[in-house]
Amino acid sequence: MATVDSRERSTAVAPQHDVPRGGVVDWLTTTDHKKIGILYLVSAVGFFVLSGLLSLVIRAELAAPGLQIVGHQEYNELFTMHGTGMVFFFVVPTAIGLGNYFVPLQIGAPDVAYPRLNAFTYWLYIAGGLITFSGFLTAGGAAAVGWTGYAPLSLNTFSPGAGVDLWIVGLLVSGVSGILGAVNFIATIFGMRVPGMTMFRIPIFCWNILVTSGLILFTFPVLSAAFAMLYIDRQIGGFFFDPGAGGDPILWQHLFWFFGHPEVYIMILPFFGVVTEIIPVFSRKPVFGYSGFVFATLLIGGYSLSVWAHHMFTTGAVNNPFFAATSMIIAVPTGVKFFNWIATMWRGRISLQTPMLFSVGFLFMFLIGGITGVFLASPPIDYHVHDTYYVVAHFHYVLFGGSVFAIFAAFYYWIPKISGRLMNEGLGKLHFWLLIIGFNMTFFPMHVLGLNGMNRRISDYSAASGWQPLNILATAGAGILAAAVTVFLINFFVSMKKGEPAGDDPWGGYSLEWATTSPPPPHNFHRIPPVHSERPVFDDRGGRPRAGADGKPGGRRSG
Amino acid sequence: MSTKQRPILAAACVAATLSACVPEPADVQGESVERLYNFFFIVAAVVFVLVAGLITWSLVRYRAKPGDELPKQFDRNLKLELTWFAIPLATVVVLFVLSAQVLGEVNAESTNPSVTVGVEGFQWGWRFIYEGSGVVVIGDATERPEIVLPVGQPLTFNLESADVVHSFWVPRFLIKRDMVPGQQNSLSLTISEAGVYRGVCTEFCGLLHSKMNFVLRAVSPSQFEGWLDEQRTIDGNG
Repeated sequence: MATVDSRERSTAVAPQHDVPRGGVVDWLTTTDHKKIGILYLVSAVGFFVLSGLLSLVIRAELAAPGLQIVGHQEYNELFTMHGTGMVFFFVVPTAIGLGNYFVPLQIGAPDVAYPRLNAFTYWLYIAGGLITFSGFLTAGGAAAVGWTGYAPLSLNTFSPGAGVDLWIVGLLVSGVSGILGAVNFIATIFGMRVPGMTMFRIPIFCWNILVTSGLILFTFPVLSAAFAMLYIDRQIGGFFFDPGAGGDPILWQHLFWFFGHPEVYIMILPFFGVVTEIIPVFSRKPVFGYSGFVFATLLIGGYSLSVWAHHMFTTGAVNNPFFAATSMIIAVPTGVKFFNWIATMWRGRISLQTPMLFSVGFLFMFLIGGITGVFLASPPIDYHVHDTYYVVAHFHYVLFGGSVFAIFAAFYYWIPKISGRLMNEGLGKLHFWLLIIGFNMTFFPMHVLGLNGMNRRISDYSAASGWQPLNILATAGAGILAAAVTVFLINFFVSMKKGEPAGDDPWGGYSLEWATTSPPPPHNFHRIPPVHSERPVFDDRGGRPRAGADGKPGGRRSG
Repeated sequence: MSTKQRPILAAACVAATLSACVPEPADVQGESVERLYNFFFIVAAVVFVLVAGLITWSLVRYRAKPGDELPKQFDRNLKLELTWFAIPLATVVVLFVLSAQVLGEVNAESTNPSVTVGVEGFQWGWRFIYEGSGVVVIGDATERPEIVLPVGQPLTFNLESADVVHSFWVPRFLIKRDMVPGQQNSLSLTISEAGVYRGVCTEFCGLLHSKMNFVLRAVSPSQFEGWLDEQRTIDGNG
């Protein structure tokens, strides 16, 4: 094993960092994985709020036929930047932020393998985000080519503005950030585990971060290459994608989706990991089928590299049956995970505190998104629903119903560890119910709209289409979603100040992050319990549930 | 699908999911798509009820009560795990085979179409060229084009783009195909029902994408011939 035996840490480890300086300079120069994790999470939530505000304008515009709020150009910029912001600057960075904070803690390491690289990775991400969004400040506005940036529309001839160039450069920079972050996670997980923490004892969350990092290494370089080619096409006439000069627009789609579909799994696997951490703890049982989860995660990772052209069934340029087969098979390991989650809850003692509540919300919503995904994997059905609101509904059930619900589950579960204070349960439950009602009001009707002919990415529709009632419903739902997120932010700020102290282990956790203080010291652990199973903290307290059977948070200190 | 079954099935779908059905197809190929969609829908409904039911059952039955002991700590059962690996696998194999069959049906090209229409998409409009008759219909975002086609005859659309990627879709046909610059695509179908249908571009194509629409009027073959003659006269006079 790559773990170093000299790193025996049954007693305190000498701090590897300077004494915390506090203040702005410290945050700007920190190489502590926990602080970088916090920076990632705060920035990602910032981009979530920003991109969410863009989508509120989109929903407001679509509430009625005709253009009331923005023009066509602005509308196209809004949905482009909404998608770009959510995918590249919110969901993936949130996974990286959670991984940054919790992977070292969960494997008993004092930091990531390359702390300085880690800091560099974060600042590249911020630079990429600012460059991408700075398109709004240019005369021509931000990129208005869709987050998929299909050529030739994204070429100079059709989109001459600087917004597209900034979009390309920003995403290139953030792509490099993702690659470096993936290298760091892989090195950390393979090389920094505490003695006893074998690969088949690391928490499932770490497995998911590992497989996600592998996917990033396989796919982000392809995306970077595609963006570099697009940039060359735009700036010096590379003719890669220009059909008038012998280039091929379909090539762009292949390169983009070779990245783009694994990207979907990059955005969901870490959050599969999150709910696989939470469900056992709140069911008072071990995870059911640990190796099944690992196996399924590896299968999903592998298969996800072979499904990309199901985004191109209608192009007439790909082998539809092949990509239909791979795309449908990938539902199988996902189905296995569902049954394992259910078996984990089966005959457990389930307490529905906020982390579990959001995880359950994830199960139901992702179930719907997964099922509609199988419809889309069938080429004849895709011939009808491709590029309609059905697809918009589908991927929001996956990315919002899936990832975002799991992200909130992770926040309620882990913020007490980060801050030392519990979030307010009442506000958390209000947040949950507003979120799930608003979410379904917004996105469920979109299935129906898509089936009935409403195409994607349209700034306007005619009154005769009959789509307005469901669009009004969706817009009202978006308002409820905004209220839900506001409740979360209020809960966060209030709990930071006045929240109940969390203690080391408020939930009766299993993995090593619960063996240290909340927040952990700069070097992470004063004492690491011995690791004999995938539940070291559970073993360490003699198999007793940490909290009372009613699930209320227990005492203040563990160990 | 017979017309008798359709209302019943439609009603069932409405009850199940607030009308998450495809619209009634207006072409022969669309009927195959509809059958496939409905089969998928039934499978999906069964899967949803099963999985959501198991989750709900667990939440209700195994909710923690005050004074509960630690439950039995079981964490594996290879037979069960293999079973629930096999069930989804078998399901998707069936779904794949059916999809492949229907794919063959809807992709079949008319060997001898009665009418061949060249369709060229451009930002943000359409140019329809009726092959053999010299009739051309053009329209754009300000004035959407209206084309006429015969019911019950095999049609072929040859799809091209003059600039960026567009996509040709009449929602009631349940089939769409992209129009890619530098590439020839074609779409063959037979309209089964007379009516006036909306057509749209479904691939985002820039500023006025939302305005890139057309109208398709499906009429009897004799009415179609009459319309063609009329167009020729107009073109001739013009």
